[in-house]
Amino acid sequence: MAEIQPVIEVCDLCKTYYMAGGLSQSVLKHISFTIYPGEFVAIMGHSGSGKSTLMNILGCLDRPTSGTYQLSGENVSDKDDEALAIVRGQKIGFVFQNFNLLMKRTIADNVSLPLIYQGVGDEERRQRAVEMLKKVGLEGYEDRLPSQISGGMQQRVAIARALINNPSIIFADEPTGNLDSKTSDEIMELFAKLNEHGITIVLVTHEDDVADYAKRMIKIMDGEKAYDGLRADYKENQGA
Amino acid sequence: MIIQILKEAWISISAYKLRTFLTMLGILIGVAAVVMMVSAGQTVQNEITKTFDSMGTNLILIGPGETVSGGVRGGRGKPTVTFDEVDALKKLKDVEAASFIVSAAAQAVYGSNNYGVSIYGTTPSYLTVGNWEIEQGQMFTEHDYKSGKPYVVIGQTIVNELFGLQNPIGKVIRLKSQPFTVIGVLKEKGDGMMGDDQDNIVLMPATTLRQRIQSYFRHNYASVVFVKAVSEDKMEIVANRVEYELRARHRLKDGVANDFTVRLMTEMVEKVRSIGFILSALLAAIASISLIVGSIGIMNMMLVSVTERTREIGTRKALGAPNKWIMFQFLAESILISFMGSFVGMIVGVIFSQIGGVIFDKDVPISIWSVIISVMVAVIVGVASGLMPALKAMKLDPIEALRYQ
Ligand SMILES: Nc1ncnc2c1ncn2[C@@H]1O[C@H](COP(=O)(O)OP(=O)(O)OP(=O)(O)O)[C@@H](O)[C@H]1O
Ligand SMILES: [Mg+2]
Repeated sequence: MAEIQPVIEVCDLCKTYYMAGGLSQSVLKHISFTIYPGEFVAIMGHSGSGKSTLMNILGCLDRPTSGTYQLSGENVSDKDDEALAIVRGQKIGFVFQNFNLLMKRTIADNVSLPLIYQGVGDEERRQRAVEMLKKVGLEGYEDRLPSQISGGMQQRVAIARALINNPSIIFADEPTGNLDSKTSDEIMELFAKLNEHGITIVLVTHEDDVADYAKRMIKIMDGEKAYDGLRADYKENQGA
Repeated sequence: MIIQILKEAWISISAYKLRTFLTMLGILIGVAAVVMMVSAGQTVQNEITKTFDSMGTNLILIGPGETVSGGVRGGRGKPTVTFDEVDALKKLKDVEAASFIVSAAAQAVYGSNNYGVSIYGTTPSYLTVGNWEIEQGQMFTEHDYKSGKPYVVIGQTIVNELFGLQNPIGKVIRLKSQPFTVIGVLKEKGDGMMGDDQDNIVLMPATTLRQRIQSYFRHNYASVVFVKAVSEDKMEIVANRVEYELRARHRLKDGVANDFTVRLMTEMVEKVRSIGFILSALLAAIASISLIVGSIGIMNMMLVSVTERTREIGTRKALGAPNKWIMFQFLAESILISFMGSFVGMIVGVIFSQIGGVIFDKDVPISIWSVIISVMVAVIVGVASGLMPALKAMKLDPIEALRYQ
């Protein structure tokens, strides 16, 4: 039987920020973990613990100071900016706390934006955007502007955009941070549904109800991995 | 990829219509101004050429020598070429015609009308060298010249001033109280280079002028001699022959300066034209200052745009946009703006020059330079003013950019 290839393999990852005046801050310390296809992982931790820093490295927006990071079998820890841009475009989908839609562009344009950089033609982009919007429950909203729909809908658009290039994994840093609790639930249900269809998701949150949608949880404390296991087990331990 | 970049750039700038339009305006005005200045310059040059052509082509002018005293060149000397010598010049090789003038001014009187006119005493060949045509009647003949007949051929202005609608042929006008019979009318030439009226002219045999109007002159020296070469490329050699002939006739020894001057009309045309060219280049240069201002306007707008769209840039990068893509998109935006500005500016410039042409009643050429200038401006201004903002956008760190509020 063939071994399943991990989506993410992080080994001994460190990140240190060097600031002016010779000061340095060690934000991530010797972090290792592996994420397999189809997992749904919540990264938790207090403010300032290093969650976003970790997500930026996982999302190939930043590079680790030391340690290795393999994304679907490809070592990405020491690639240059251009190479990382290609990796992001082909393998990664992002969902941001503040949606980050282009406000002057239609919903369809926003959803299909990543495909421009893959050289996909106008017609196919439009068609794939329409399909993807159907999947997130926004059929018929193609030609509206982001300002004409609600925050929850905007985040759905962002999720459709994250999915459009069939990424190996979706990273979401506080995706519900700007939403009320009801809309939050809707978005998390959408994530859960996508995960059921086999999409690997890693999200950062400090809200327990949001984390409950994930099966696995990684807790970061002061830059170190403090917990890595089932979310349910963690809650049981906390309760006890 | 280029098409996609241009499309994205186009959508981006058309999202801010007013701002884009105002930015464009700077380049538009600059290009329009330059195109208008270049058109004006070319029109002036064309007018100069036309005027010189109307004065006669392939002409060599022989005038008085320069006075030299103590090695210092002074003003003009006295005329030294006689009427008879002009006859001799006619016989030189490659000479199509030779003529000369002696001039005077007088009141022309007909009935109760009178008008101040220029009188040229000349020979029948003056029609050929001076590019004149007879509209009515005829020119005086070689025979009339030899015998000093009191015949005149008059310009259109004098016809209008003295005769109105009457037929002037055969009528007698008075100049310095002497009667002269009008035997011909010259075809209209219009204004000369300095706005002078070329048609306010009375031609008569030089011999007649000397006998009847300037009888106090004892000599028969021509004020200006005109020699017309058979073609433009023969002008130089004809000029040399003329010089050789006159030196021989004036018995000038080797080393003695000419007591006359020989000039080619083409040289004079070139000289005046080059002044016109420098003038129009200068005007265009001044107008192009507005292009620099316009270009700074684009740069400023693009810098604001990059700052405003920091989050957009961060998002695009996170979604896989290569740095180069970002740079080219912003560069394309500024080039598009400067292109549209230049294009519309070119059209506005051409339209305004044509309107100017109608107002001043001149043929204004639509020159290829308008197109060349605007394309060059579009590219240079677009790149120059877009490069810095584009590089700034390219260098943005996606993490910082995404965090930007
Ligand atoms: N570019 C940077 N330069 C220096 N220090 C930084 C930089 N980015 C983050 N840090 C520091 O690293 C630490 C971790 O920051 P990070 O944003 O990863 O925390 P976080 O867990 O995402 O917090 P929050 O829950 O508030 O989002 C913080 O102390 C922060 O000040
Ligand atoms: Mg964070």
